[in-house]
Amino acid sequence: MIRRVTAHIRKELLLLLRDRAGLALLFGMPVALVCIMAVVQDAPFKDFTENRVKVLLLDHDGGGVGRGIREGLEQAGPFIVTDGTGSGLSDADLRDRVRRGEQQVGVIVPAGLSDLLADRSTHQVASYFDLTTGEGAGPDTANVVLVIDPTVKQAFRSLVAGALERVLAGLSAQRLLTDLARRMSEMTGDSVDAPRIQGSFIGVEQRLAAKDLAGEKVALDSTQHNVPAWTIFAMFFSVVLLAGNMVKERDSGCMTRLLTMPGTTTDRILGRLAAYLFVCMAQTLLLLLVGRFALPWIGLAPLRLSGPAMVLLLFVAAAVVGLAATSFGILIGSFTRTQQQSAVLGSTAVVILSAIGGIWVPLYIMPDAMQALGRLSPLNWSMEAFNAVLLRGGAWTDLLPYLLPLLVFTCGCIALSVFGERRVARR
Amino acid sequence: MPHSDIRVCAVTKRYRGSATSALRGVDIDARRGEFLGLLGPNGAGKTTLLSIITGVLRPSTGTVEVRGAGMHADRRRALSAMGFVPQEIALYGTLTARENLAYFGRLQGLDRATLAARSAELLERTGLATRADEPVRQWSGGMQRRLNLITALLHDPAVLVLDEPTVGIDVQSRTAIWEELQAINARGTTVLYSSHHLEEAERLCSRVVIIDHGQVAGEIADMRTRSGQERLEETFLRITGRALRDDPA
Repeated sequence: MIRRVTAHIRKELLLLLRDRAGLALLFGMPVALVCIMAVVQDAPFKDFTENRVKVLLLDHDGGGVGRGIREGLEQAGPFIVTDGTGSGLSDADLRDRVRRGEQQVGVIVPAGLSDLLADRSTHQVASYFDLTTGEGAGPDTANVVLVIDPTVKQAFRSLVAGALERVLAGLSAQRLLTDLARRMSEMTGDSVDAPRIQGSFIGVEQRLAAKDLAGEKVALDSTQHNVPAWTIFAMFFSVVLLAGNMVKERDSGCMTRLLTMPGTTTDRILGRLAAYLFVCMAQTLLLLLVGRFALPWIGLAPLRLSGPAMVLLLFVAAAVVGLAATSFGILIGSFTRTQQQSAVLGSTAVVILSAIGGIWVPLYIMPDAMQALGRLSPLNWSMEAFNAVLLRGGAWTDLLPYLLPLLVFTCGCIALSVFGERRVARR
Repeated sequence: MPHSDIRVCAVTKRYRGSATSALRGVDIDARRGEFLGLLGPNGAGKTTLLSIITGVLRPSTGTVEVRGAGMHADRRRALSAMGFVPQEIALYGTLTARENLAYFGRLQGLDRATLAARSAELLERTGLATRADEPVRQWSGGMQRRLNLITALLHDPAVLVLDEPTVGIDVQSRTAIWEELQAINARGTTVLYSSHHLEEAERLCSRVVIIDHGQVAGEIADMRTRSGQERLEETFLRITGRALRDDPA
């Protein structure tokens, strides 16, 4: 049996080696996909980290509030603030610029905002000490106008609005403290300096739910997502080639010859599994090397691997994913009758399963219903297995919830393939 | 009684979903060392019968034995004793002749040394040795047909079954294949040969069985003593009739 399985493996690999288009599909396409998609998705992955939002400010107030808003936004981090005040820019011009996409956000500080804040604050403090109601102090509120490019994502809008509200809350609190200090001075006759607000008393510390990897925390970035994602896609996309070769084998009469020779369907399936598993491992190695060494050349983060233990775990995960992918290809090849059928069915199935499985974009940004559907995709189990190693620094036991379903999927595909191959080959 | 190398006993075959039987109680014996021709018009059941004899299909009822081994009871032994040349050129076009032979030879259980020696001998004998390291798809149809034949001979089978082995090739290649088959048969290999070419059957076969409507319709017991008698084509038409055998509408 071993001799026959070895012969099948050798034959499958020779057929692949002689098929230049097939080799390009197996190795060239995923390398291109990783590079292109990693670059394309780099900006969205950096939305809240490295990308900065262009803000155009028009300060009609000219007082402390307008100045405070500008300084507050500049210090908030992800904003590049351009002050258009005094340049002859009108509110309508600002809206035009934002609508044309020259600036992503416009901020209009209305005139008299500092006076309004001072008025409201003074009355508020007076109400604490004199029991006045604070009524009759002019309008209760005024709005800083936020103008947002319609093409900007909702997440960006929330980010800008949140930052602006934090700045305004800080300015209001500071003004209140100043008025309180002045009132205290008037009451006691002593000079009381208004304290400066030095940030929050209670802050937020962000921690990633991952183990330390080579001394650094690893978060999902374009490289960490795209390298495993397209590795998995490439492994599953090999079904097109595998299934096509199986159909070609039947059409050429080779299958008839094989059926008249000693040996079993199991021998042939084992031979194909082993040969394409080898291909899958080669794809994994190639794409890990691309992620580690080639992506930094095009300005992307390198794939972060913490050491031999992680690499070993990755290859174990890749082997199980490879088995699942190959068995899926054998299943398609066993039940399709023409090369066109196998190509269309194989590629369509893989594209759909990868789209819903979180290969193109992470599953968590999809709608709930799509997420539920996506969790049924073997490509999602594969992606989660890779994420468990690459992002969560998981151990063997963390991989099992994803690898076990893949192994069950593999066994199911093989069992159906044995049935299908006998049926189709002897039709 | 001479030994039978292929024994087909009361074989019937009805395909799933079909109202009629493709084979209806076929009995054939191919005796050791004979060159048995299997003739019949289109749709007569030849291909189904060959598929059952070579183990590709299971019969609905009846049995097939090759060299005493039941095709379904002792499949491995039966298949090991047999070489099969399908009608299609059943080779991997992107592999070289030597790689094709190595693959099929290993599946037949040949060790490396035997395989190398046997491949070299067969390639030489059929005039293919000088181009044995070229991909087969670059070859002419005649060369591919010759390789198709010797692939079935690698393990030196006791029984050789051929299905239309000379379709679509030039006279030279066909003659070479005929000569090779006669030489193989002369060395004691039993040959079961299915063909549409009555001229081939007349030239090669020692006995002919004619199949029609899924059963044995006639037999010509000794082809080699037929000189001066009715031509094979006339006998064939007398047995099978002149009605056209188009596919049913």
